[in-house]
Amino acid sequence: MDELIEYIAKSLVEDPTQVRVSTHPRHGEVHLELSVADEDMGRVIGRKGRVANSMRALLRVAASQRGERASLEIT
Amino acid sequence: MADPKTSIEIISPSIEEAVSRGAAELGVPEDAVEVEVLDEGKKGFLGLGNRQARVRMTIRDDFEGQPIPADRSGAVQPEGEEDEVLVVTRETVGELLQRMGVEAELSAYWGEKDENSRLVPLHVDIHGSDLSILIGRRGETLSALQYITRLIVGKELQRPVGVVVDVEGYRGRREQQLRQLARRMASQAVERGKTMTLEPMPPNERRIIHIELRDHAQVYTESVGEGDRRKLTIIVRS
Repeated sequence: MDELIEYIAKSLVEDPTQVRVSTHPRHGEVHLELSVADEDMGRVIGRKGRVANSMRALLRVAASQRGERASLEIT
Repeated sequence: MADPKTSIEIISPSIEEAVSRGAAELGVPEDAVEVEVLDEGKKGFLGLGNRQARVRMTIRDDFEGQPIPADRSGAVQPEGEEDEVLVVTRETVGELLQRMGVEAELSAYWGEKDENSRLVPLHVDIHGSDLSILIGRRGETLSALQYITRLIVGKELQRPVGVVVDVEGYRGRREQQLRQLARRMASQAVERGKTMTLEPMPPNERRIIHIELRDHAQVYTESVGEGDRRKLTIIVRS
């Protein structure tokens, strides 16, 4: 699941070297935290959060394929 | 690339399985294709950390027989740099699906330019079994996949690309349903002489209904509400 988010984020930002994804178990689900360079925040969030929400939708599929639940936070 | 399609990309648990499915999709025997392994995949422990294999298959130039492709005749395939768009887009969808753990076959082809768009759309069709998870409620997951694909491809190629991602013909079926719904609700609006309000719908679905009723003599359409709650109303002309 982190591979998916990392791939998307690295493909969208100007500075892929600053992309970090960490996973933490939390309340029975996998919580992912994505961080990118400050200048790239807008690229992974998008207008009205559209990019972030699209990543969450795809993450939901990745998680359910493994019988899990996941959440994504951009920090 | 000539029509019918001569190359395809497959994501599957194993390379062997991908090759046999790809050959079937191309309509040729397995020994008639050139196989390029894009990703060997990885076997994880108890299903954890495994990654599916991804292969690209192309019909050999010296293959004498006649390929019997699955369908999609009449698709236009511009040449040269347009092939680059096709390859990059198909690869991007493949990379995404692979990381989502979804087993699927992909085919890509050029569609016809629609009157409201400047871009000739590139269609990527996803085939496989049990893919409803990729569609989601009201097609939201499919829209997300299409949106992310457009962004990634647009960034890689440094220009906007009109990508349409579809799963097992879902978009076409949904469009037919929406058109029927539009006509039925328009008749009801006229019969009852009152405004009909539809369920909230995403922009692409509202657009289909707007267009269907654009030239209707007795009603016109308007969208009301914000964001996720935005819905279409059918209003009787006075």
